[in-house]
Amino acid sequence: MATILHAVLGYFILLLVVRVLARRPGSQMTMFEFVIVFLMGGIIILSTVGNDRSVTNCTCAVIAVGLIHRTVSWAKNRSPMLGAIIDGTPLVVIRNGEWQPEVVRGMKLRREDIEAAARERGVTRVEDIEYAILERNGRISVLPKE
Amino acid sequence: MPKPFTSPVEDSVPKVDEKIAVGENLEFQRKWWRFERVIWSVFLVILVCDVLGLFGRGWLSKAKLVSDDGELTLNYERMERSDTPSIMTLHFSEQAIHDGRVKIFVGRTILGPLGAQRISPQPVVSAIGEGGITYTFAATEAPAVVQIALKPSFPGPHKFTMRMEDGRPVEGSVFVFP
Repeated sequence: MATILHAVLGYFILLLVVRVLARRPGSQMTMFEFVIVFLMGGIIILSTVGNDRSVTNCTCAVIAVGLIHRTVSWAKNRSPMLGAIIDGTPLVVIRNGEWQPEVVRGMKLRREDIEAAARERGVTRVEDIEYAILERNGRISVLPKE
Repeated sequence: MPKPFTSPVEDSVPKVDEKIAVGENLEFQRKWWRFERVIWSVFLVILVCDVLGLFGRGWLSKAKLVSDDGELTLNYERMERSDTPSIMTLHFSEQAIHDGRVKIFVGRTILGPLGAQRISPQPVVSAIGEGGITYTFAATEAPAVVQIALKPSFPGPHKFTMRMEDGRPVEGSVFVFP
Protein backbone atom coordinates (compact mmCIF):
# COMPACT_ATOMS: atom_id res chain seq x y z
CA MET A 1 0.00 0.00 0.00
CA ALA A 2 2.77 2.44 1.00
CA THR A 3 4.66 1.65 -2.21
CA ILE A 4 1.64 2.52 -4.35
CA LEU A 5 1.11 5.80 -2.45
CA HIS A 6 4.81 6.63 -2.78
CA ALA A 7 4.72 5.81 -6.49
CA VAL A 8 1.70 8.10 -7.04
CA LEU A 9 3.29 10.89 -5.03
CA GLY A 10 6.65 10.43 -6.74
CA TYR A 11 5.04 10.46 -10.18
CA PHE A 12 3.28 13.78 -9.60
CA ILE A 13 6.24 15.43 -7.86
CA LEU A 14 8.51 14.41 -10.74
CA LEU A 15 5.91 15.55 -13.27
CA LEU A 16 5.65 18.97 -11.59
CA VAL A 17 9.39 19.53 -11.30
CA VAL A 18 10.11 18.39 -14.85
CA ARG A 19 7.22 20.48 -16.15
CA VAL A 20 8.38 23.68 -14.49
CA LEU A 21 11.93 23.18 -15.71
CA ALA A 22 12.28 25.19 -18.89
CA ARG A 23 11.40 23.20 -22.03
CA ARG A 24 14.51 22.48 -24.02
CA PRO A 25 14.69 20.89 -27.44
CA GLY A 26 14.58 17.16 -26.63
CA SER A 27 16.51 16.11 -29.70
CA GLN A 28 19.35 18.36 -28.56
CA MET A 29 19.55 17.07 -25.00
CA THR A 30 22.97 17.83 -23.58
CA MET A 31 24.95 15.97 -20.89
CA PHE A 32 23.73 18.67 -18.50
CA GLU A 33 20.12 17.54 -19.01
CA PHE A 34 21.07 13.85 -18.83
CA VAL A 35 22.40 14.52 -15.31
CA ILE A 36 19.04 15.96 -14.27
CA VAL A 37 17.04 13.08 -15.78
CA PHE A 38 19.11 10.30 -14.21
CA LEU A 39 19.57 12.00 -10.84
CA MET A 40 15.87 12.78 -10.38
CA GLY A 41 14.84 9.29 -11.48
CA GLY A 42 17.32 7.69 -9.10
CA ILE A 43 16.21 9.81 -6.14
CA ILE A 44 12.51 9.13 -6.63
CA ILE A 45 13.14 5.37 -6.89
CA LEU A 46 14.65 5.39 -3.38
CA SER A 47 11.49 6.72 -1.76
CA THR A 48 9.18 4.63 -3.95
CA VAL A 49 10.45 1.15 -3.07
CA GLY A 50 11.98 2.06 0.32
CA ASN A 51 13.68 -0.83 2.09
CA ASP A 52 11.46 -3.44 0.44
CA ARG A 53 13.35 -4.38 -2.71
CA SER A 54 11.41 -7.59 -3.33
CA VAL A 55 10.15 -8.50 -6.80
CA THR A 56 6.58 -8.22 -5.46
CA ASN A 57 7.10 -4.65 -4.26
CA CYS A 58 8.91 -3.50 -7.39
CA THR A 59 6.27 -5.13 -9.61
CA CYS A 60 3.51 -3.32 -7.71
CA ALA A 61 5.40 -0.03 -8.05
CA VAL A 62 5.86 -0.50 -11.81
CA ILE A 63 2.19 -1.40 -12.29
CA ALA A 64 1.12 1.60 -10.18
CA VAL A 65 3.25 4.00 -12.23
CA GLY A 66 1.95 2.47 -15.47
CA LEU A 67 -1.63 2.83 -14.31
CA ILE A 68 -1.17 6.45 -13.24
CA HIS A 69 0.46 7.26 -16.55
CA ARG A 70 -2.38 5.67 -18.49
CA THR A 71 -4.96 7.53 -16.38
CA VAL A 72 -3.18 10.86 -16.87
CA SER A 73 -2.96 10.21 -20.64
CA TRP A 74 -6.69 9.42 -20.74
CA ALA A 75 -7.49 12.57 -18.76
CA LYS A 76 -5.28 14.66 -21.08
CA ASN A 77 -7.20 13.45 -24.10
CA ARG A 78 -10.51 14.27 -22.42
CA SER A 79 -9.49 17.74 -21.30
CA PRO A 80 -7.48 20.06 -23.58
CA MET A 81 -6.79 22.32 -20.58
CA LEU A 82 -5.23 19.42 -18.64
CA GLY A 83 -3.23 18.59 -21.75
CA ALA A 84 -1.95 22.15 -21.86
CA ILE A 85 -1.06 22.05 -18.16
CA ILE A 86 0.86 18.79 -18.45
CA ASP A 87 2.43 19.13 -21.90
CA GLY A 88 2.24 22.87 -22.52
CA THR A 89 1.19 24.33 -25.87
CA PRO A 90 3.19 24.86 -29.05
CA LEU A 91 4.75 28.32 -29.18
CA VAL A 92 5.75 30.43 -32.14
CA VAL A 93 9.38 31.48 -31.68
CA ILE A 94 9.90 33.16 -35.05
CA ARG A 95 7.07 34.77 -37.01
CA ASN A 96 7.67 36.15 -40.50
CA GLY A 97 11.43 36.23 -39.95
CA GLU A 98 11.18 38.01 -36.59
CA TRP A 99 12.06 36.66 -33.18
CA GLN A 100 9.28 36.60 -30.60
CA PRO A 101 11.28 37.90 -27.63
CA GLU A 102 8.57 37.17 -25.05
CA VAL A 103 8.59 33.47 -25.97
CA VAL A 104 12.39 33.22 -26.25
CA ARG A 105 12.80 34.88 -22.85
CA GLY A 106 9.91 33.03 -21.19
CA MET A 107 11.07 29.62 -22.39
CA LYS A 108 14.73 30.44 -21.68
CA LEU A 109 15.58 29.38 -25.23
CA ARG A 110 18.99 29.81 -26.78
CA ARG A 111 18.80 31.33 -30.22
CA GLU A 112 21.54 28.92 -31.30
CA ASP A 113 19.14 26.00 -30.81
CA ILE A 114 16.57 27.50 -33.17
CA GLU A 115 19.26 28.43 -35.67
CA ALA A 116 20.55 24.84 -35.55
CA ALA A 117 17.03 23.56 -36.31
CA ALA A 118 16.82 26.03 -39.20
CA ARG A 119 20.11 24.81 -40.66
CA GLU A 120 18.73 21.24 -40.62
CA ARG A 121 16.03 22.51 -42.99
CA GLY A 122 18.62 24.20 -45.18
CA VAL A 123 17.78 27.71 -43.96
CA THR A 124 20.75 29.82 -43.00
CA ARG A 125 19.12 33.18 -42.28
CA VAL A 126 16.43 33.96 -39.72
CA GLU A 127 14.84 36.36 -42.22
CA ASP A 128 14.15 33.36 -44.45
CA ILE A 129 12.08 31.61 -41.79
CA GLU A 130 8.34 32.13 -41.97
CA TYR A 131 7.58 30.27 -38.76
CA ALA A 132 9.69 28.49 -36.16
CA ILE A 133 7.55 26.65 -33.64
CA LEU A 134 8.62 25.14 -30.34
CA GLU A 135 6.49 22.00 -30.19
CA ARG A 136 5.12 20.41 -27.02
CA ASN A 137 7.67 17.58 -27.19
CA GLY A 138 10.54 20.09 -27.32
CA ARG A 139 11.21 19.77 -31.05
CA ILE A 140 11.51 22.90 -33.17
CA SER A 141 9.58 22.95 -36.44
CA VAL A 142 10.97 25.38 -39.00
CA LEU A 143 8.85 26.49 -41.96
CA PRO A 144 10.93 28.42 -44.52
CA LYS A 145 9.45 31.27 -46.53
CA GLU A 146 8.28 30.23 -49.97
CA MET B 1 -29.47 4.89 -45.62
CA PRO B 2 -27.06 6.79 -43.32
CA LYS B 3 -27.88 10.40 -42.48
CA PRO B 4 -25.62 12.93 -44.18
CA PHE B 5 -23.36 15.11 -42.02
CA THR B 6 -25.00 18.45 -41.37
CA SER B 7 -22.33 20.24 -39.35
CA PRO B 8 -19.28 21.53 -41.20
CA VAL B 9 -15.92 19.94 -40.54
CA GLU B 10 -13.77 22.62 -38.86
CA ASP B 11 -10.21 22.77 -37.72
CA SER B 12 -10.37 22.88 -33.94
CA VAL B 13 -6.72 23.90 -33.55
CA PRO B 14 -6.24 27.68 -33.26
CA LYS B 15 -4.40 29.17 -36.24
CA VAL B 16 -1.57 31.70 -36.27
CA ASP B 17 -2.13 34.65 -38.65
CA GLU B 18 -5.11 32.69 -40.02
CA LYS B 19 -2.57 30.63 -41.95
CA ILE B 20 -1.09 27.80 -39.98
CA ALA B 21 -2.78 25.61 -37.37
CA VAL B 22 -0.32 25.58 -34.50
CA GLY B 23 -2.53 25.48 -31.42
CA GLU B 24 -0.56 28.20 -29.69
CA ASN B 25 -2.18 29.57 -26.56
CA LEU B 26 -0.04 32.50 -25.51
CA GLU B 27 -2.50 33.64 -22.84
CA PHE B 28 -2.28 30.24 -21.13
CA GLN B 29 1.50 30.32 -21.49
CA ARG B 30 1.72 33.73 -19.76
CA LYS B 31 -0.30 32.33 -16.85
CA TRP B 32 2.00 29.31 -16.79
CA TRP B 33 5.11 31.51 -16.62
CA ARG B 34 3.54 33.33 -13.65
CA PHE B 35 2.81 29.94 -12.04
CA GLU B 36 6.44 28.86 -12.66
CA ARG B 37 7.73 31.96 -10.89
CA VAL B 38 5.50 31.19 -7.89
CA ILE B 39 6.36 27.49 -7.78
CA TRP B 40 10.11 28.13 -7.92
CA SER B 41 9.69 30.51 -4.99
CA VAL B 42 7.81 27.76 -3.16
CA PHE B 43 10.62 25.29 -3.96
CA LEU B 44 13.14 27.77 -2.56
CA VAL B 45 11.12 28.16 0.64
CA ILE B 46 10.94 24.35 0.96
CA LEU B 47 14.74 24.10 0.67
CA VAL B 48 15.30 26.86 3.23
CA CYS B 49 12.87 25.13 5.64
CA ASP B 50 14.74 21.87 5.07
CA VAL B 51 18.11 23.49 5.82
CA LEU B 52 16.67 25.03 9.00
CA GLY B 53 15.32 21.65 10.05
CA LEU B 54 11.59 22.25 9.75
CA PHE B 55 11.30 18.82 8.14
CA GLY B 56 13.52 17.13 10.70
CA ARG B 57 17.26 16.58 11.17
CA GLY B 58 18.10 20.22 11.80
CA TRP B 59 18.19 23.14 14.19
CA LEU B 60 14.41 23.79 14.32
CA SER B 61 13.56 20.14 14.90
CA LYS B 62 15.56 19.78 18.10
CA ALA B 63 13.39 19.77 21.23
CA LYS B 64 13.98 19.51 24.95
CA LEU B 65 11.61 18.53 27.73
CA VAL B 66 12.31 18.70 31.46
CA SER B 67 10.13 17.03 34.07
CA ASP B 68 8.60 19.23 36.81
CA ASP B 69 10.93 17.84 39.45
CA GLY B 70 13.97 18.11 37.17
CA GLU B 71 14.76 14.40 37.43
CA LEU B 72 14.43 13.78 33.70
CA THR B 73 15.62 15.86 30.75
CA LEU B 74 14.64 14.60 27.34
CA ASN B 75 16.33 15.60 24.07
CA TYR B 76 14.56 14.52 20.91
CA GLU B 77 13.51 15.67 17.44
CA ARG B 78 10.01 17.13 17.25
CA MET B 79 10.06 16.60 13.48
CA GLU B 80 10.97 13.14 12.30
CA ARG B 81 11.05 11.47 8.91
CA SER B 82 9.49 8.14 8.14
CA ASP B 83 11.96 5.22 8.10
CA THR B 84 14.82 7.53 9.07
CA PRO B 85 16.78 6.74 12.25
CA SER B 86 17.11 9.25 15.09
CA ILE B 87 18.16 9.23 18.73
CA MET B 88 16.11 10.23 21.76
CA THR B 89 18.36 10.96 24.75
CA LEU B 90 17.24 10.75 28.37
CA HIS B 91 19.34 12.55 30.98
CA PHE B 92 18.72 11.58 34.62
CA SER B 93 19.63 13.84 37.52
CA GLU B 94 21.03 12.70 40.85
CA GLN B 95 17.52 12.70 42.38
CA ALA B 96 16.37 10.16 39.80
CA ILE B 97 18.73 7.51 41.09
CA HIS B 98 17.29 5.46 43.96
CA ASP B 99 19.23 2.54 45.46
CA GLY B 100 21.56 2.41 42.47
CA ARG B 101 18.67 2.17 40.03
CA VAL B 102 16.70 4.38 37.67
CA LYS B 103 13.18 3.41 36.74
CA ILE B 104 11.30 4.97 33.83
CA PHE B 105 8.00 4.23 32.14
CA VAL B 106 7.96 4.61 28.34
CA GLY B 107 4.57 4.90 26.64
CA ARG B 108 3.42 2.82 23.71
CA THR B 109 3.79 5.63 21.16
CA ILE B 110 7.57 5.49 21.42
CA LEU B 111 7.54 1.73 21.10
CA GLY B 112 5.02 1.60 18.23
CA PRO B 113 4.52 4.54 15.87
CA LEU B 114 7.90 6.12 16.68
CA GLY B 115 9.55 2.73 16.18
CA ALA B 116 11.94 2.26 19.13
CA GLN B 117 14.63 -0.04 17.69
CA ARG B 118 16.96 -0.45 20.65
CA ILE B 119 17.76 1.07 24.00
CA SER B 120 21.25 1.73 25.24
CA PRO B 121 22.45 0.70 27.78
CA GLN B 122 20.38 -2.45 28.17
CA PRO B 123 17.96 -2.22 31.10
CA VAL B 124 18.32 -4.63 33.99
CA VAL B 125 14.58 -5.25 34.01
CA SER B 126 11.88 -4.54 31.42
CA ALA B 127 8.33 -4.84 32.70
CA ILE B 128 5.33 -4.56 30.41
CA GLY B 129 2.04 -3.03 31.52
CA GLU B 130 -0.06 0.17 31.63
CA GLY B 131 0.24 0.43 27.85
CA GLY B 132 3.99 0.65 27.76
CA ILE B 133 7.20 -0.68 29.26
CA THR B 134 8.85 0.21 32.56
CA TYR B 135 12.63 -0.01 32.23
CA THR B 136 14.94 -0.33 35.22
CA PHE B 137 18.58 0.64 34.72
CA ALA B 138 21.52 0.13 37.03
CA ALA B 139 23.02 3.57 37.85
CA THR B 140 25.76 4.86 40.11
CA GLU B 141 25.67 8.65 40.03
CA ALA B 142 24.66 11.53 37.73
CA PRO B 143 25.05 12.30 34.91
CA ALA B 144 23.24 9.19 33.77
CA VAL B 145 22.23 8.97 30.12
CA VAL B 146 20.06 6.52 28.21
CA GLN B 147 19.58 6.58 24.46
CA ILE B 148 16.62 5.21 22.53
CA ALA B 149 17.16 4.63 18.80
CA LEU B 150 13.98 5.51 16.88
CA LYS B 151 12.90 4.71 13.36
CA PRO B 152 9.34 6.00 12.86
CA SER B 153 7.23 4.18 10.33
CA PHE B 154 3.85 5.93 10.67
CA PRO B 155 3.63 9.47 9.23
CA GLY B 156 1.56 12.05 11.10
CA PRO B 157 1.44 13.64 14.56
CA HIS B 158 2.18 11.44 17.57
CA LYS B 159 1.99 12.31 21.26
CA PHE B 160 4.22 10.39 23.64
CA THR B 161 4.53 10.00 27.39
CA MET B 162 7.38 9.16 29.75
CA ARG B 163 7.27 8.99 33.51
CA MET B 164 9.85 8.56 36.22
CA GLU B 165 9.02 6.26 39.10
CA ASP B 166 6.31 8.03 41.15
CA GLY B 167 6.84 11.16 39.08
CA ARG B 168 4.50 13.19 36.92
CA PRO B 169 4.38 12.26 33.23
CA VAL B 170 6.44 14.18 30.70
CA GLU B 171 4.44 14.62 27.54
CA GLY B 172 5.73 15.62 24.14
CA SER B 173 4.74 15.38 20.55
CA VAL B 174 6.50 14.39 17.36
CA PHE B 175 5.42 14.94 13.78
CA VAL B 176 6.58 12.30 11.35
CA PHE B 177 6.92 13.37 7.71
CA PRO B 178 6.32 10.75 5.04
